[in-house]
Amino acid sequence: MKQFEISSKQKSVLFGFMGVGLLCLIITFFIDDAYRPRFWSNFLINSVFFTGISFIALFILCAKFIAYSGWQTVFKRLWEAYTQFLIVGLILMAIIIVGLFGGFHHLYHWNDAASLASDTLLQGKSGFLNAGVYTVLTLGIVGVWYFFARKIRALSISEDGQTTFSRITHQKLKKWSAGFLPIGGFTSAALVWLWIMSVDAHWYSTLYAWYVTASWLVSMLALTVLLLHYFKTLGYFEYVTVDHFHDLGKYIFGFSIFWTYLWFSQFMLIWYGNVGEETIYFKTRQDLYPALFYGILIINFVLPFFILLRNDTKRKTGTMVAASVIVFIGHWLDFFLMIKPGVLHTYHEVAGGGHGHASMNADQSMTAKLISDAGAHGAEHASTFQMGFTIPGFLEFGTFLGFLGLFLYFVFIQLGKANLVPKGDPYLGESMNHHV
Amino acid sequence: MSAVVSPIREPLITGRKSYHDITEDICAPSERAPSLTWVFAFIVAVTLLGFGVFSILWTIWFGIGSWNLNRTIGWGWDITNFVWWVGIGHAGTLISAILLLFRQKWRTGVNRAAEAMTIFAVICAALFPGIHVGRMWVIFFFFPVPNTRGPLWVNFNSPLLWDLFAISTYFTVSLLFWYTGLVPDFATLRDRASGLRKKFYNFLSFGWTGSAKHWSRFESLSLILAGLATPLVLSVHTIVSFDFATSVIPGWHTTIFPPYFVAGAIFSGFAMVQTLMLITRKVLKLEDYITLQHIESMNKVILLTGTMVGVAYLTELFIAWYSGYVYEQFAFLNRAFGVYWWAYFAMMTCNVLSPQIFWFKKMRRSIFVTFVMSIFVNIGMWFERFVIIATTLARDYLPSSWSYYTPTWVEIGIYLGTFGIFFTFYLLFTRIAPVVAIAEVKSILKSSGDQYIEEHEKHYQKAIDNKVKQH
Repeated sequence: MKQFEISSKQKSVLFGFMGVGLLCLIITFFIDDAYRPRFWSNFLINSVFFTGISFIALFILCAKFIAYSGWQTVFKRLWEAYTQFLIVGLILMAIIIVGLFGGFHHLYHWNDAASLASDTLLQGKSGFLNAGVYTVLTLGIVGVWYFFARKIRALSISEDGQTTFSRITHQKLKKWSAGFLPIGGFTSAALVWLWIMSVDAHWYSTLYAWYVTASWLVSMLALTVLLLHYFKTLGYFEYVTVDHFHDLGKYIFGFSIFWTYLWFSQFMLIWYGNVGEETIYFKTRQDLYPALFYGILIINFVLPFFILLRNDTKRKTGTMVAASVIVFIGHWLDFFLMIKPGVLHTYHEVAGGGHGHASMNADQSMTAKLISDAGAHGAEHASTFQMGFTIPGFLEFGTFLGFLGLFLYFVFIQLGKANLVPKGDPYLGESMNHHV
Repeated sequence: MSAVVSPIREPLITGRKSYHDITEDICAPSERAPSLTWVFAFIVAVTLLGFGVFSILWTIWFGIGSWNLNRTIGWGWDITNFVWWVGIGHAGTLISAILLLFRQKWRTGVNRAAEAMTIFAVICAALFPGIHVGRMWVIFFFFPVPNTRGPLWVNFNSPLLWDLFAISTYFTVSLLFWYTGLVPDFATLRDRASGLRKKFYNFLSFGWTGSAKHWSRFESLSLILAGLATPLVLSVHTIVSFDFATSVIPGWHTTIFPPYFVAGAIFSGFAMVQTLMLITRKVLKLEDYITLQHIESMNKVILLTGTMVGVAYLTELFIAWYSGYVYEQFAFLNRAFGVYWWAYFAMMTCNVLSPQIFWFKKMRRSIFVTFVMSIFVNIGMWFERFVIIATTLARDYLPSSWSYYTPTWVEIGIYLGTFGIFFTFYLLFTRIAPVVAIAEVKSILKSSGDQYIEEHEKHYQKAIDNKVKQH
């Protein structure tokens, strides 16, 4: 049972990632337009993506504790390490909040005083969509999540010291987990509405929160497969076998289908209902972001479905790593597509001085802006393409890499603080001898 | 299945049973003469069934006018009952397929009866669309077969048609799944029987000999059917929810409907399983196979799905306000405080508030509380459908057409009749087939039998140490 320690090589690579990310953020900041929509939306996408991954890790851990699930025990310390990132998530979201009050960004249409004054819909929502509620709920809820994450990890680690496994500690662990599940279930929906859905401030969908959560879940599982494979090459997690990967593969396969099910339910009902207030969300994405709109369905459904359908592909390193990389990037792109169009639209509304009828003239205002931009940049002809919004550019991927580096660095540090093998867990023996 | 079992797990078979005891205990109910209780229950069920048939004939003879449907409320008890029964029909396949994929061993005690219940519930459900068309003799118009009706062709754009496909597919796969599991158990009964009874079970068991080849094919088939059944379970109630959500009626057109209907269906299905299993285990003396541990696990599922449904209710309420759409806001205000406020509060109390008592272990393990709760949940889930359907339709865009709806005796009679169908089938099932899957329970004896649990304790630490030494 090797104790994990972050190596100097890992440190330099991860700091390199973070350096690239920081550089990309700085470059984005300086080449960006007024109000810096590209810079801030990149910041928001990555903050939400990685905070969500650590939230869902906590949620799944709790679900597993109370469901008498044993097979994940040999690698549960990795998920516990993910959950500790919530504190960083809290700080990242606090930066967004500072921007909200300081007027540094226009990520949210509802935060713009001029728009609010002329927009009845936004006024109707202002009881929920305002900087105060955003701040209180964000800090309060992520704070509570972090509290649970710490408590559950502390209890889990306290099992290690006991020579024979303690039913009492395990019982406590189950109680705290059971307490977190309803809290996490209710509060995550509120944060998804505030952080992501309110980017398209006029639009609403009751399914949205569950859809976003499913996206986080698949990303979290994919990252777990990738990290476990990496750690095994270094000689850590020696008890994680091909059978554990097989089960993780089933999860990625199953939850990719689940994500698609939610995607389809949301899309189909809105398409079939054909109510303008609702279809605008998909219409914008289909017309102006076709590569991403259709692309994420291929990346997040078709590819993992066919790659992981067979039994043996879930047991082979090559196919599992490939599928994990695909869906991890795919779900990041999903968040990209959730956030970017709304931010760009708000930017045009605010910067272009649009008054009301915001959702109606999206195309025209966007085109007008792009024509003027294209002229300024000396382009031959205008198109609706806008780098960093229509598709992610190098700067976006660089920023993503930076946040990934931050997340991994934090996780590695946390892994080093406890045994990798939870010696006192009552399910350890089952997990070590796990066979599918 | 992992051979090493943590001693923290509770036994799922009690009474230190041997393989032979299991065969004896589970076969016994179908080998003795029916008890007086059974006969009495059967008479009641058949009477209800008869009354249901009478009410249906009344409907066909006099037409749908014998129901109280009115100008805006074109869907009343019929569709409410339809959705309610389809929902109940979710637990069986969920237990067999999804819990199989999640390797939950406790499913073996209850899967057989739950699957049977699924099939009977789906039969009850399928009845309603059939009679709701009014002219039952043209029911074959439902099916997209070549015909001479010209433009009278099914509407492929209609979720009602998708429903037909979803439910008939689900029914077929559930039936196959259930029957596949029954084959080895019928063979066990056959081997113990003689005379006509032996011939009967010989026919039912397809000449099963229990050879390795048979088991191998049995396992492959079960796995394939489980793989097919899993998406089907989700699809059925998803499409039922589409019946409502594809419309543009405020209160119906909401994207959360598909997953929320599925959660609600599992919720009500488990409640019905509880109702039946609590009686069955007592009457047939199967307490060693359907233990308190099973009941507690099912109560946890009820708590989980009940809370999920609660999250969905609150999401709907919140988003209705958030949408800024006055009709949507009115629809939900009307649900809670309109003419049918009592139905809404019955729904909220039974579905969201009352299952919360299952946070306490004592309550989860109390047979009395579980039984009362299982009835509560079924009442609550019936009201949920009634709230969605009647409350919404009673208040449409034109205040001049606002109306109120109460069922006639015919509608109530048909509903009671479905209970007759359901219980007649279920009672026959308990006489003919083993209500607990014999072969499946045997497969978990060595890992979950109480006498082996004590053995696990001794070997468990050794299993860990051996593994550590290997590395």
